[in-house]
Amino acid sequence: MNAPARLLMNFEVTPASHLLAEYQARGGYQAIEKAIRTMTPKQVTDTVTTSGIQGRGGANFSAGRKWGVINLNDGQPHYLCANADEGEPGTFKDRWILENAPHLLLESMLIAAYALQVRHAFIYIRGEFDLPYRRITAALEEAYAAGFYGKPLFGSDFTCDLIVYRGAGSYICGEASGLLTSLEGKRGYPRNRPPRLTVRGLYQKPTVVNNVETLSNLAGIINNGPDAFKATGTKKSPGTRLVSISGHINKPGVYEVEPGRPFREFIFDTCGGVPGGRKVKCIIPGGISTKVVTGEEVDRIRLDNEDLATVGSGMGSGGMVVIAEGTCMVRLLQVLLRFYHHESCGQCTPCREGMGWMHRIIDRIVAGQGVPEDIERLKQISAWNDGNTICGMGDAAGYAALGILAKFGHEFEHYITHKRSLCDGNLECRASS
Amino acid sequence: MKHLVAEFDALRARFPEGFSSSMVLPCLRRIQEDRGYVADEDIGDLAAYLGVPRIQIEEVLSFYGQFRRAPVGRCHIEACRNVSCSLLGAERLIDHLSRKLGIRPGETTADGEFSLATAECMASCGTAPMVVVNGKYHESMDAAKVDALIEANRVKAAE
Amino acid sequence: MPRIFIDGKPYEAKSGQTVMEVARANGVDIPAFCWHPELSIAGNCRVCAVQVEGRSWVEISCNMPVTEDLKVLTDSDIVRDYRKSILQLTTLNHPVDCGICDKSGECSLQDYHYEHNGTPSISRDAKVHSTKFHKLSPRITLDNERCILCTRCVRFTHEVSKSKSLGVVQRGDTSLIRGSEDGAFARDDYSDNVVDLCPVGALLSTAFLYRSRVWYLKPTPSVCPGCARGCAVDLWHRKPEWKLHALEARKNVAIERVTPRENPHGPWICNKGRDYASFVERPRAWQAMSAGTPVATHTAIDAARLLIEGARNPFVLVSSWASNEELAAFRNLLAERFTALVKADRLAQPGEPMEDAFLIRADKNPNTRGALAQFPNEWEIGMALPADCDLVLVWGEGFDLASAPPKARTIVLDAWDKPTHATADVFIPLSIQTERAGTYTNFEGRVTAFEACFPKPDAVVDAESLFASLARSTLPAAAE
Repeated sequence: MNAPARLLMNFEVTPASHLLAEYQARGGYQAIEKAIRTMTPKQVTDTVTTSGIQGRGGANFSAGRKWGVINLNDGQPHYLCANADEGEPGTFKDRWILENAPHLLLESMLIAAYALQVRHAFIYIRGEFDLPYRRITAALEEAYAAGFYGKPLFGSDFTCDLIVYRGAGSYICGEASGLLTSLEGKRGYPRNRPPRLTVRGLYQKPTVVNNVETLSNLAGIINNGPDAFKATGTKKSPGTRLVSISGHINKPGVYEVEPGRPFREFIFDTCGGVPGGRKVKCIIPGGISTKVVTGEEVDRIRLDNEDLATVGSGMGSGGMVVIAEGTCMVRLLQVLLRFYHHESCGQCTPCREGMGWMHRIIDRIVAGQGVPEDIERLKQISAWNDGNTICGMGDAAGYAALGILAKFGHEFEHYITHKRSLCDGNLECRASS
Repeated sequence: MKHLVAEFDALRARFPEGFSSSMVLPCLRRIQEDRGYVADEDIGDLAAYLGVPRIQIEEVLSFYGQFRRAPVGRCHIEACRNVSCSLLGAERLIDHLSRKLGIRPGETTADGEFSLATAECMASCGTAPMVVVNGKYHESMDAAKVDALIEANRVKAAE
Repeated sequence: MPRIFIDGKPYEAKSGQTVMEVARANGVDIPAFCWHPELSIAGNCRVCAVQVEGRSWVEISCNMPVTEDLKVLTDSDIVRDYRKSILQLTTLNHPVDCGICDKSGECSLQDYHYEHNGTPSISRDAKVHSTKFHKLSPRITLDNERCILCTRCVRFTHEVSKSKSLGVVQRGDTSLIRGSEDGAFARDDYSDNVVDLCPVGALLSTAFLYRSRVWYLKPTPSVCPGCARGCAVDLWHRKPEWKLHALEARKNVAIERVTPRENPHGPWICNKGRDYASFVERPRAWQAMSAGTPVATHTAIDAARLLIEGARNPFVLVSSWASNEELAAFRNLLAERFTALVKADRLAQPGEPMEDAFLIRADKNPNTRGALAQFPNEWEIGMALPADCDLVLVWGEGFDLASAPPKARTIVLDAWDKPTHATADVFIPLSIQTERAGTYTNFEGRVTAFEACFPKPDAVVDAESLFASLARSTLPAAAE
């Protein structure tokens, strides 16, 4: 097979490659010029729709379809917000863009703002981010100084201002509606739909929230055309995906992956396999809210949404975590449920009560006080959350639990029966048991 | 908070009309940067300055993990214990930190120099395990590096 | 006008309505904790979910817009199972306080548990504990363990009373309802409405705490006399069949609590109305007097009649707490003899809110408008009665007898005990609002009726029948 396509990670990262001059030397800020000079806002949206690009924050929704809801002639302010609240455990690929290709994001946001007739755009960046925050704010200063932001562009009357808005430590603010409520200066409570955010979003005005990586693809789609984008990846998942891989893997990091290639090629060839040559027990493919894929399944399938769906999972947020043989899946689930419990905003009954309940159950199992019905209970609470909450976090916690229970239920039975872990409670990469 | 008002005015001018409420998070962050935490009197002052209900600020302060209403150690260490960090030894690292400093997560040393907290995923999974020290990321940590970090910060205090 | 189907039956809806609104308007009682007709949609309790026909899942009905031919099921197997799961989750950490909780008997959680077959908790883990009996304000006690975080109370202070004084602090299942730390909730003149709003026993009236089980009480429709708004209220008192024999008789005629009835401004009253009992739990006047000497009531009435017949320039200070029926009786029977002036029986007390942008009116009397409709002239404090006025009939409170013209005789009619009653030429004790039926007219002209809560004590007279007695002698001498 030929080398995978490179749409985003297509330059050498150096100490200066994130700067404006280098970005422009690579052809930066030509796409926005092309869009403004040769396309109408609607044509830009149509191009995005034609490209077939799906959201890369986890939900996988068609970006063009989302944009299409915005009525360009409604006389209302429209807002655009980049979701840089990367908080899905295992995920650090948006961080790569913010640190190494901030101008790619800034230019792409101009393209989106032009298409959606947005005067004020925002980047909601998680409050903990250190270098990514410094890089994006420095890049924004450069962009303002160069006249890309804050001034009418390329002879048109289109102007865009952008504010980088820092979160303050809450995973749920990565949920699009929670993000906007946080941007309004309040608790990051997600909202019920209807209305969709594209109808009533930030301060009840039409708002598009897109993931950083999703947006960052726009410059390339405008420059090279939507068909070139569609020619990469698979029919159902066009384009490339940034995958951040970590855990029990020899070469952790951010990689640009072209969906459709064998999963094992990525794990063993590209990323060097598991330390010590140990076996893959399972992999969380796309952030902890996707269901685990066993080592055996990894050997069989391609790394794309469609194949992952056949084993009950998906590309999710691109946060891939490799788990080696000998890891205790009960303790692993404990880490995950503790996280969800900590991050539940507390608004709706199933998640607020369910997360705490699941956490207390898993703590009890790990402490050697589990009872056989606990496994059913975890599944039941997961089912009670699925589709019955204000936002997807309740569902997500359920998927995490159900995925691990489905494929490693025997470990839980063992722990409950024998009051100890099948794998000595181990989480680190040790010898196979 | 008065000495920050000019800064806040400038920030407000960058936001669109009607976005006063949005100023709550950035202003609280700035107040906390300045004082080390948000004091009770800051709440009333900020509510009055922004024209938002006081309860909104109290709600926000208690919702977001980064805001605090009491001081922490001069050197505040947050250690991630989420999935990838745990797979790469975060539990052992946190134990080590805890024993080295003589405090449990959530506590501050008696001399007020160090405080320790656990944190959730910081998006450093590829360079796990990691700690954040006074907001700065320190990645690919191990016991030796953590020891060096603590010593470096102790030395700073002595200066 | 979209037409929707609920459980197979068609209902006409208005565009923009939700399924919950249409259901409740038509007597289909989809359960709800967080939804309330007067508040914004929160959609957090999740108990109101229904099944759209053809789908295998449920969706909340409080946020479901009506569309033409929308068909929902509120009682399918899927919905029933779902509701049981929501009740399990809602009661997961809810303390089984029913035995000691004031809300018992009128608690939505109890009601839904029974109606929708809630089952005992299947959790093996101890309940999460929280603050109990937190003083949200001197008037309101909050039990956070019982709270189900529906946020009705929070939305009330932001959207209705506008004090914006309640909120949710912390996160997840340690979330707590709290008031702002400046104590603004204690200054919210409508704070007690959250007790009605709370679907469970989390928000409680401190005054009513442990006072009575609600099933021993009955509500009698009445009107709050606290100001000229005249909110319709229910006065709660012991049911006659639950009469207490051993304890003080007073308990049997006590107003235990006050709740709003439906009003044009919504189901809200201010805190003064909640304290209705304080209007009536003052020392009563029980004894008729003639020049300070206790006499039988009929003797006092005879004396009064004589004074009225003999007066050349009598004035009456008309009570603005009189009912329309009493006012009409006076007009029909006695008014032509008198110059009538309507007085304000009560003025605002120090510290009492005068008038606000919501319900509270500066006029602290319930029937000023009704009185003025019968007698157009007003008396104000300090207004001197003419020197040749030879009889002052003081009906109700608010007139200082010492300011009557020095040569005038005085007849005082009042329910409340005062030392000055002994200085009147004649004093006759009257019944109070809870002992009779009648109507008041509020400042907008709205007429609202009140009913008697208790039988009239024998020692006092109703003003209506008193006026008939006083007027009898004006008829031509009739055969006895």
